[in-house]
Amino acid sequence: MVGEPFGRRTLLRGAGALTAASLAPWAAGCTSDDENALTFFFSANPDEAKARMRVVDEFQRQHPDIKVRPVLSGPGVMQQLSTFCAGGKCPDVLMSWELTYAELAARGVLLDLNTLLAQDNAFAAELKSDSIGPLYDTFAYEAGSKGGQYAFPEQWAGNYLFYNKKLFAKAGVPPPPTTWDKPWTFAQFLDTANALTQRDGSGRATQWGFVNTWWSYYAAGLFAMNNGVPWSTPLKNPTHMNFGDQAFIEAVQFYADLANKHKAAPNASETQSMSTPDLFAAGKAAMALGGHWRYQTFMRADGLDFDVTSLPIGPSLPDGHAAVSNIGATGLAISASSRRKEQAWEFVKFAAGPVGQKIIGESCLFVPALRSALNSDGFAKAHHRVGNLAVLTTGPDHAEALPVTPAWEKVVALMDREFGPVLRGSRPATSLAGLAHDVDEVLHSP
Amino acid sequence: MTSLDTSAGPRPWRRRAWAGRLFVAPNLAAVTVFLLFPLGFSLYMSFQQWDVFNPPKFLGLRNFRELFTSDPLFLIAIRNTAVFTLGTVVPTVLISLVVAGVLNQKIKGIGIVRTIVFLPLAISSVVMAVVWQFVFNTDNGLLNIMLGWIGVGPIPWLVEPRWAMFSLCVVSVWRAVPFAAVILLAAMQGVPETVYEAAKIDGAGGIRQFVSITVPLIRGAVTFVVVISIIHAFQAFDMVYVLNGSNGGPETATYVLGIMLFQHAFSFLEFGYASALAWVMFGILLVLTVLQLRLSRQRSMEAASGPG
Repeated sequence: MVGEPFGRRTLLRGAGALTAASLAPWAAGCTSDDENALTFFFSANPDEAKARMRVVDEFQRQHPDIKVRPVLSGPGVMQQLSTFCAGGKCPDVLMSWELTYAELAARGVLLDLNTLLAQDNAFAAELKSDSIGPLYDTFAYEAGSKGGQYAFPEQWAGNYLFYNKKLFAKAGVPPPPTTWDKPWTFAQFLDTANALTQRDGSGRATQWGFVNTWWSYYAAGLFAMNNGVPWSTPLKNPTHMNFGDQAFIEAVQFYADLANKHKAAPNASETQSMSTPDLFAAGKAAMALGGHWRYQTFMRADGLDFDVTSLPIGPSLPDGHAAVSNIGATGLAISASSRRKEQAWEFVKFAAGPVGQKIIGESCLFVPALRSALNSDGFAKAHHRVGNLAVLTTGPDHAEALPVTPAWEKVVALMDREFGPVLRGSRPATSLAGLAHDVDEVLHSP
Repeated sequence: MTSLDTSAGPRPWRRRAWAGRLFVAPNLAAVTVFLLFPLGFSLYMSFQQWDVFNPPKFLGLRNFRELFTSDPLFLIAIRNTAVFTLGTVVPTVLISLVVAGVLNQKIKGIGIVRTIVFLPLAISSVVMAVVWQFVFNTDNGLLNIMLGWIGVGPIPWLVEPRWAMFSLCVVSVWRAVPFAAVILLAAMQGVPETVYEAAKIDGAGGIRQFVSITVPLIRGAVTFVVVISIIHAFQAFDMVYVLNGSNGGPETATYVLGIMLFQHAFSFLEFGYASALAWVMFGILLVLTVLQLRLSRQRSMEAASGPG
């Protein structure tokens, strides 16, 4: 009787000791790695991730004293970042997006890189002479009393058109323009898309003239930019969105009609069961709107012979006007709370500077954001399959920005809602005037 | 003897109580850390403005005021949640009553049928939503292919706003029926056989027996199923998120309170506002549940005191 409680207690003690013993090495192993490594947060599709690691590996080879731990983001970037930072584990170096970095900058999450640049004159001068103005300025942001350069661009990720050379030749359609400066028109583009669409006996398309591989409301807005309307005025901290502008509406309607009226592009129901990049990769679509992040996928597609071309311009622009792309840049930022700012600075300097950018260009990962890398032989060699290389190399100079505001997530939620019926063809694009009003309200009281 | 009793008595008892507390401790700690603390924290946060990155700022009742007076989406979310709740709870109760009634029969092989009916209970709701997404696909979905056989043209299940809410309710009912049926079946099996025998002698048919005997006698279980179903419908999030997208689309067709809460907290980083919304949801549910319990108690008292 007396022995029993002791037995139980011994058992408990034993179990406790065993648990502690089994946890100890695991906990120790976890912290030693975590404490010393520089964390690098980024998002990438599987093909991109491999090329991205080449840059990280090269950095580690040149800086053996700095260990980098890559943190690959899931789909909800802001959600993941906020969770990390709330838990006191904000990554040291963060990949930032043109459209969303302002949200972090306004909250004081990102470090003003000008403070570090001021102490590094040689690099500052090099960066200044080599940078592409609009890309670099994308990440300069003023928020109340705060302001500064919150990231260095590492790529131009604007959109252009990929086209299937074989399908063009087979249909006897002349090849599209070779540069942004001598673009085609909406009407020529529509004729081409129609000519390249093929249907079976039942009227179902077996080959599409055009597919969009980007977010559809952004793509529609890109057509509007090519009809002479910027998304907002001003572009940084906008107070008004131009969704209600006549030329904007006209371009969005043109884009929506491609699928709903002319049936030259798959509609909302059809894209539900087909991935648009796969359609282009499989040779079932003649043109695809997308950015360089699709390059890796199309490059690997069997039997796909493709080239790139500029976007068409709308009727509101005078003939001979150059076409535009969007900036869509991502940059590298340093978290303001990082305890490894010096190492982080070294990494950012490497990846956004001439050395890293050169590797990026050679590896086909991105279109680099520095002129030296963009115009290098390495980049041209890596893109030897592209005939119209100027579309890529002069793309950044023809790129216009999208709005930069901390309220972007809210704007997107509203856009998703209001563009839906227009792009589905159940409401005319004129209904976007209501969206402009709602978004302006959000912009005035974020 | 007495002195020995008093000195030896409390020690094992105390030791046992100590051991008891020790055994409860892990669970108690989990409840405190994962339930009580978040509850208190979210109540505190509902009066603050907090974006995770900066220290919270006290706002008083502003979050609540904004929610009730100047957020047009709150009304939409309430309306959608109400439609979803009705569209889920009513069919769930009716269907599960029938299902439980059928499963209560003593037929050969009923065990296999029961197993099949209860299978959805074992599937995670995200997996379920992904599978149903294939089923609801407009061009190549199973449902539209089958409808095509009987000459019904393709229905844009998840693309058109009107159909999207309907589709969501269908999946939700499909998911809720097994659980409700288990509860109702258990209650049905507790109804004494003698009552049915008496009814049979009086000439009541199967349907009459079901309506006049089974349903009234399992009223408690039905109430329970209704309360639980309403609570579940109010909590709808995971399935909507996967089936209809993170914005509860298309447009605002499936923008329910759960989606609104998640969007404000994790997309807009307005944790204070989201906490306020969570407490408003809690308030609505509390009122609904209390009302329902009152009503059912009243009804059962009326039944007890009625002509017997």
